[in-house]
Amino acid sequence: MEFWIELVVSVFLVVGAVFVLIGSLGLAKLPDFYTRLHGPTKATTLGMGCLLAASVILVTYQQGYLSLHELLITLFLLITAPVTAHMLAKTAMHHNLEILDKTSNKALTKRARDRINP
Amino acid sequence: MNLLWVVLLPLIGTLVPLFTERFGRNICTLSVALLPAWSLILVLMYAVDIFDGQAIRQTIEWIPAIGLDLSFRLDGLSLLFLLLILGIGLLVILYARYYLSAKDSMGHFYAYLILFMSAMVGIVISNNLIQLWMFWELTSISSFLLISFWSHKSEARKGARMALTVTGAGGLALLAGLLLIGNMVDSYDLDTVLASGDLIRSHAAYPVALVLVLLGAFTKSAQFPFHFWLPHAMSAPTPVSAYLHSATMVKAGIFLMARFYPALAGTDLWFMIVSLTGLITLLIGAYVALFKHDLKGLLAYSTISHLGLITLLLGLNSDLAAVAAVFHIINHAIFKASLFMAAGIIDHESGSRDMRKLNGLMKYMPYTATLAIVAALSMAGVPLLNGFLSKEMFFAETLNQSTLGSLSWMIPLLATVGAAFSVAYSLRFIHDVFFNGEPIDLPKTPKEPPRYMKVPVEILVGLCLLVGIFPAYVVGDLLHVASSAVLTHDVPVHSLAIWHGFNIPLFMSFLAMVGGATIYYNRRHLFQFQSQFDEPDAKHIFEGVVQSIVNASERIISALENGSLQRYIFLLLLFTLVMAGLPLLDLVQNTGSRPQIPLDGVTVTGAVLLVLSAIATVIWYRRRFLALIFLSVVGLMVSLIFAKFSAPDLALTQLSVEIVTIILLLLALFFLPQSTQKESTNRRLSGDLLISGLLGCVIGTICFAMLTTPLDTISDFFLANSKTGGGGTNVVNVILVDFRGFDTLGEITVLGIAALGIFKLIAKMRIYMPVRDDDGRAWSNDPHPMMLEMVSQSLLPLAILVSVYIFLRGHNVPGGGFIAGLITAVAIIQQYIAHGVQWIKPRIKIDYQWLIAGGILIATTTGLGSWIFDKPFLSTWFDHFNLPWIGEFELASAMLFDLGVYLTVVGSVMLILANLGKLTTSERFEMKEND
Repeated sequence: MEFWIELVVSVFLVVGAVFVLIGSLGLAKLPDFYTRLHGPTKATTLGMGCLLAASVILVTYQQGYLSLHELLITLFLLITAPVTAHMLAKTAMHHNLEILDKTSNKALTKRARDRINP
Repeated sequence: MNLLWVVLLPLIGTLVPLFTERFGRNICTLSVALLPAWSLILVLMYAVDIFDGQAIRQTIEWIPAIGLDLSFRLDGLSLLFLLLILGIGLLVILYARYYLSAKDSMGHFYAYLILFMSAMVGIVISNNLIQLWMFWELTSISSFLLISFWSHKSEARKGARMALTVTGAGGLALLAGLLLIGNMVDSYDLDTVLASGDLIRSHAAYPVALVLVLLGAFTKSAQFPFHFWLPHAMSAPTPVSAYLHSATMVKAGIFLMARFYPALAGTDLWFMIVSLTGLITLLIGAYVALFKHDLKGLLAYSTISHLGLITLLLGLNSDLAAVAAVFHIINHAIFKASLFMAAGIIDHESGSRDMRKLNGLMKYMPYTATLAIVAALSMAGVPLLNGFLSKEMFFAETLNQSTLGSLSWMIPLLATVGAAFSVAYSLRFIHDVFFNGEPIDLPKTPKEPPRYMKVPVEILVGLCLLVGIFPAYVVGDLLHVASSAVLTHDVPVHSLAIWHGFNIPLFMSFLAMVGGATIYYNRRHLFQFQSQFDEPDAKHIFEGVVQSIVNASERIISALENGSLQRYIFLLLLFTLVMAGLPLLDLVQNTGSRPQIPLDGVTVTGAVLLVLSAIATVIWYRRRFLALIFLSVVGLMVSLIFAKFSAPDLALTQLSVEIVTIILLLLALFFLPQSTQKESTNRRLSGDLLISGLLGCVIGTICFAMLTTPLDTISDFFLANSKTGGGGTNVVNVILVDFRGFDTLGEITVLGIAALGIFKLIAKMRIYMPVRDDDGRAWSNDPHPMMLEMVSQSLLPLAILVSVYIFLRGHNVPGGGFIAGLITAVAIIQQYIAHGVQWIKPRIKIDYQWLIAGGILIATTTGLGSWIFDKPFLSTWFDHFNLPWIGEFELASAMLFDLGVYLTVVGSVMLILANLGKLTTSERFEMKEND
């Protein structure tokens, strides 16, 4: 394998793994539900994207044709992650989960909860 | 011409009245009579051969694999019974046309009657034991329908139930007996059985078989102690009684004894059981008949008594007695049918059957009265009538036996006593009804019936006279062939003359006449004597017995299954533990010769996750939502395991099934409390834990032993033939749609039925719909967030595209109709979740029931299509084609079949989930079954 391909793949793998690790740590360590939500939905998604990019490059090089399956997975991840985060946040607000004191605009949660869908 | 038609024509005729009923009574009657008459003509055409001494046989292959044939045989005995069944049947059809009122459904009545007629015809011409038994049971069922024809009357229902229970139970005994006989001679062929009488009689199981067969015959022919059902069956319309209880149904038992006479008769056991039962029945029937005030009750008991007489004759083990029995079968059928019909006319025209009210009818209906009197005299055994001849023969035979040793003289004596009572009740029938003063407050003034209602009675009474005066000319030949069929050897010399000179039988007849007249003259004393005893009501006793059996069964059932699900599963697991665990004790080594796959980190992690989530499900089972989440982790891990161990099809299926199941469970949880109360005691819990733990160990051991043992399976065949035989490289899919396509067809049918069943169950369900969760929070105001709506909607085409892709590639790489169907269903459910039922309703207008039906139809039609090419059902076809731009591709008929699978799966899943989902919304108030 050529060195520069190995290098690019390795960089993507390491960066991706770091993001996934940070996301998982965030899920475990952050103080309230809303902050914890950031970990898996943002950091991990980004990390997964990097890992999949590494896969695209590697497979394309090894098999000799353009492999884009992984891009489809990335696309689905990018579509579903924000929607999932949105739904989870809405549920958390509905359940009146505790919010960190230093959160700004705390008053808006009540309005969001009582809002009636048009 | 074909013997099969003799039974098939009436059987087809069962449907005729249902179609012709609307064209009026006359046309209906005519059309009904047509097919049995045709059948009768067929029989008469065969009769010539029969009189030449031949028996006609015909066999049609039915289920050759188990040696079951449709086998028919027409000999003298069958001919005699066929003439009775079809001849009297036709007369009854004519009679019933006038008897039934406008309120009664003529079509139903005739349909039941003809069904019964076909069953009787089937019994008498069957040449196979099992086939005979099948028709035998059919008579029980059709007679149940006939007896309960006036189902609004409680006594009709009870009488019918009693008749069905008694004759049905007898039928089961008969089946056991026939199976025993079949085992003894190693054939169910009647010819073989009749030819191996000596073998049967010397067999160790002969007494058991005999008793079982006789149980069948005695219950059907109302022999003591099973006679009680017959009087209660009199609540049937009179044409039914005239047909069933004179010439056919009750004679079936007699026929059975006569049919098996060559195989079973001739032993002391036969003599003891048959003749004594016959004698007791004869006496009891004759005695009780005298005290019945109901006209039909009297005739019913008289029938019992005459059946006893025939049974007694068959039991005497003498050839001449058998001839006499056959003769009396003919005579009794003729005079009893006419008497029942006359009783029906009297009932019809006067509105009563009570002999205490019916008096002096001679003045009002002289013509009918004359006919009835002649028939009754024949029943009493008066000279110049047919009843006299067979009674003379009967007396002569009772004298010619010596089987009871020095007590043999009692049989002729008791026979004379029975005959005397028979004379007495005949006299009562004549004197009480037609003379003896004036009628007492009858509902209507009696008058002569319509002209044609009398025709059947006239014909039958005419026969009484003809047989009585010219016996040798009229029935001599018929009697001869029928008797020779019973005896299977030469018929002994007998004379059918009226006058045999002064002898003992004549003297006995004379004694019976005088005795009968004396009894009748002094009847007041006898009635008084009889009134001292409580008459037990058979109906109450019978119902009591049935009720106590039901109670006992209920006690046993409630002891075994008390409705506790914990208990059921406990017993089930315990049983499995014992059955699966015990053989393991003998297994010394559970590690087979197959090498084990080395462990790797991913597998271990997966296995640990699987175990932990399974344990977590159990630990938190009372918090239902949490348990469900852990359960979904289990499902996910299972599908990953499938993927790892090269079962991608299973993995895909498991994944989509998992999604559907979780949604289904979530919907169900909506109606349930969110947590469960603690229900079991700790002691019970530890017991359960022990059992499930042990069972887990046992199953684990079995799995390990099986996985490490190399096995030869049929997989190799599928792998080798999938491409060449089924045209696909995805073996799983080729198995589903080709190798085992018939299974799949059955499975999707079951799936469709299950979905329809669930739909039917929940369509009108109104279960409690919680408005708050367990913590008292109301449901969210925003159940369909805009983001979810938009994303789901835009993903729908993509999801459908994926399912089409999965469907099309299914034959060669993982995929196929089943998985594609699930994916489509999930995509549609996603729309329901995101938008709600109200939004979907105007947009997706697919009728899921039609989808299911269409899917099954397509699959079946594809299967049937192979018939066009003279191939077996569900043969597949495939070929490769070339199209410009696209290149080479394959077309297989299996794909069309897969389309059927796809549609059925989509329809079934959607029908269940969409409707269960509807229950959680206000839409449910608009749900209808035809929605």
